[in-house]
Amino acid sequence: MVAIAGCIPGDRSDRARRLFFWLLAGLAAVAVLSVGTGASGVSVMDAAQGWLAGNLDPRDELVLMSIRLPRLALGMLIGAALAVSGAVMQGLFRNPLADPGVVGVGAGASLGAVFAIVLGGMLPAWVGQHTVSFMAFAGAGGSTLLLYRVATRSGRTSVATMLLAGIALGALAAAMVGVMTYMADDRQLRDLTFWGMGSLAGASWAKVGAAIPLILPAILLSPLLARGLNGLALGEAAAGHMGLPVQRIKLLAILAVAAATGASVAVSGGIGFIGIVVPHLLRLGSGPDHRWLLPNAAVLGAVLLCLADIVARMIVAPAELPIGIVTAILGAPVFLWILLSRKGVGAL
Amino acid sequence: MILHGVSFDARPGHLTAIVGPNGSGKTTLMRAITAETPFDGHVAMNGTDIASAKPWQLAAIRAVLPQATPLAFPFTVIEVVRLGLGSGISAARGHLAQQALARVGLQGYEGRMYQDLSGGEQQRAQLARVLAQVWEPVLDGQPRWLLLDEPVSSLDIGHQLIVMQIARDFADAGGGVVAVMHDLNLTAMFADRVALLAEGRMVAQGTPAGVLTDANLSCAYRCRVRVNTPPDAGTWLVPHAASV
Amino acid sequence: MRALAFLLLTALPCAAQDRIVSLGGSVSEIVAALGAEDRLIARDSTTLFPESLTALPDVGYVRALSPEGVLSVGPDMILAEDGAGPVEAVEALQQAGIPFVSIPEDPSPQGVLAKIRAVGEALDIDAEPLAAQVAAGFDRAATARADVTEPKKVLFILSAQGGRLMVGGEHTAAGAIIELAGGINAATGFDGYKPMTDEAILTAAPDVILMMDRGGDHGAANEVLFAQAALGASPAAKTDAVVRMDGLLLLGFGPRTPDAAIQLHDAIYGG
Repeated sequence: MVAIAGCIPGDRSDRARRLFFWLLAGLAAVAVLSVGTGASGVSVMDAAQGWLAGNLDPRDELVLMSIRLPRLALGMLIGAALAVSGAVMQGLFRNPLADPGVVGVGAGASLGAVFAIVLGGMLPAWVGQHTVSFMAFAGAGGSTLLLYRVATRSGRTSVATMLLAGIALGALAAAMVGVMTYMADDRQLRDLTFWGMGSLAGASWAKVGAAIPLILPAILLSPLLARGLNGLALGEAAAGHMGLPVQRIKLLAILAVAAATGASVAVSGGIGFIGIVVPHLLRLGSGPDHRWLLPNAAVLGAVLLCLADIVARMIVAPAELPIGIVTAILGAPVFLWILLSRKGVGAL
Repeated sequence: MILHGVSFDARPGHLTAIVGPNGSGKTTLMRAITAETPFDGHVAMNGTDIASAKPWQLAAIRAVLPQATPLAFPFTVIEVVRLGLGSGISAARGHLAQQALARVGLQGYEGRMYQDLSGGEQQRAQLARVLAQVWEPVLDGQPRWLLLDEPVSSLDIGHQLIVMQIARDFADAGGGVVAVMHDLNLTAMFADRVALLAEGRMVAQGTPAGVLTDANLSCAYRCRVRVNTPPDAGTWLVPHAASV
Repeated sequence: MRALAFLLLTALPCAAQDRIVSLGGSVSEIVAALGAEDRLIARDSTTLFPESLTALPDVGYVRALSPEGVLSVGPDMILAEDGAGPVEAVEALQQAGIPFVSIPEDPSPQGVLAKIRAVGEALDIDAEPLAAQVAAGFDRAATARADVTEPKKVLFILSAQGGRLMVGGEHTAAGAIIELAGGINAATGFDGYKPMTDEAILTAAPDVILMMDRGGDHGAANEVLFAQAALGASPAAKTDAVVRMDGLLLLGFGPRTPDAAIQLHDAIYGG
């Protein structure tokens, strides 16, 4: 008697696998929509005809190749990075409400960015025009390493200590941001506000190129953490008993999140809600098994962020809304609706 | 609890029970055997020093059932059991998870959410996960081990007997079982060997008949206990109401 | 659109740009003052004067531009105040082959004249008549200033939200216009717009309170303002000396700044 895995009741891996392909199809559709949508009204069909005929208008080509495509690529990278980081953090902390902010990535990144915006003139010239991105990433990496050191004793990292230290560091960073806000002039204040709301408006191939080496490995390697995170759902002791190298999993998870989130925040500022909503939706849809949750989160995160970006740049065209506002305005009510429509308390 | 000079051995083919009063060091001893807490001394399993063994090497020869296992996310019962299978779930091994569930009396529970189960059902589902990890009591000539920390603590008497019988069968098939036990009657019924701890020291170790005596138990538990051995009913214990 | 641009280019052999996006309130004001308002096709969110310009499409905040948004209005030149961004958006616009002219910013008479000349050069318009007119205005302000024998201390209050006073310190447009009007900025010892403590306000003892003339707490009534202990004890409270002026006129540092300085002078000294 041979049973096929998918026939066992309660086994949601088949559903999760089908979902992955549906999400990929969705991503393709969103990509086409994104490339075809913009304030300048260049459509994909026009561009394709122009390209085939060899007389593509140079300005249309610029809009497609230097504005919309890098923006789409950056949106996909960052959406995937935020969603995967959220899922990994939630698995590591065994808590569906954890996000990369928990390990100080957000606090460190905003501290770095705020320093760069307010004190930018005092930094060495070689960091140049990308000071804010550079400092945000340095802040994210530095604070994560600091928290990891604080929470690690004799080779074991206590996630509870890390959580507490993260809260302390967050408070310190918030206070420092306050100091910087006080010192800032009018224009810097507006820069700080806009940075905090996140935007893909500055997308360029250079930014995509800077983000890829940090985000792509983190996303592609995250499935290696899947078994470990599944085991951690039963607690650290049980995960160890099942033969999982718990300490190595923690270190790898924290590094991956610091790299992916640090790079995302550095290139696009603060974008909320993707990291919480995406893993939650997927757990409702196809279960918490991280072997499927992580890749599905990457694709769904990319889909949602690219959709939010289309809204962000169309709704007040030719100006645009910061994308962090869009993800929160669209994400929060959907999230509340899901919470309300679920019966029972075991929903999380 | 700190253990002092405790020498303990368990053999494949035997169900070895660790008993003793609360705070006597049972769980500490179990944590040492499972390499969960660092300790001075030496623990070997199948001749391998567990302090230097890799987690996955240990996981291949022993499985551990903790006292309580909180679960962080809404997994179904079958998904929880499959966690014990580790990597490389083939169709046949996938089927193993269902067999393990049937073994603990939870057939038909595959699609239920783990968090919706009662405490006793959750404990049996966890036992199924642990069984799935070391499904064959002997593999490649090497015995495998079930390390159970109070496996029957939240079960009714019927399921207590089912779970103890599973442990008994595992030992009879050549595997080793070490179980921390509170219930001395079940211990007397199912164990081949008993280790009695009190205040971090080994009071006695040997067969149930040799260890579970009026004198040993009264000394270890600080109360008066009478052990009955009627010829047709095995061993059963009656505690006295008055303390010593 | 290509065809349209082609026709316009052939029709105007001088090749003067007439599809201009202006970014920055004072830059747009100068364009209008130079009589080139009809060459503007879009503006940023800080362009609010002359009011007719607000009818143009808004491409957003000058520091958070969307490159495609700016391109979509089909500009052939972008005039921007210093610090337009983000950098990537500006790079993309430059790649599109659209001249991107950055206008230097400095809250001083020389700065205003330099701005006017820079905009004139970009538009290929002789800016000297306007520059001369504005310079004459500054001279009139200087003459008015020279008559002041007892300069008054003026405190610029940006907002009085919840009783907390946000005031204009050193190196602010507010401080600069106060000095142009022959006053002394009462808030010294710090840069920028900052909340000021009651005791410091008491010590500063302003003779005149200067505020922007618009709704909300910015336009708090005099009695509300002077209900505050520190302000209530100031010389300004005794004479009920509160000056309210349009924010853009007061702080914009464009062609209207000499008028603003003279208006403020008259308000302070009862010209």
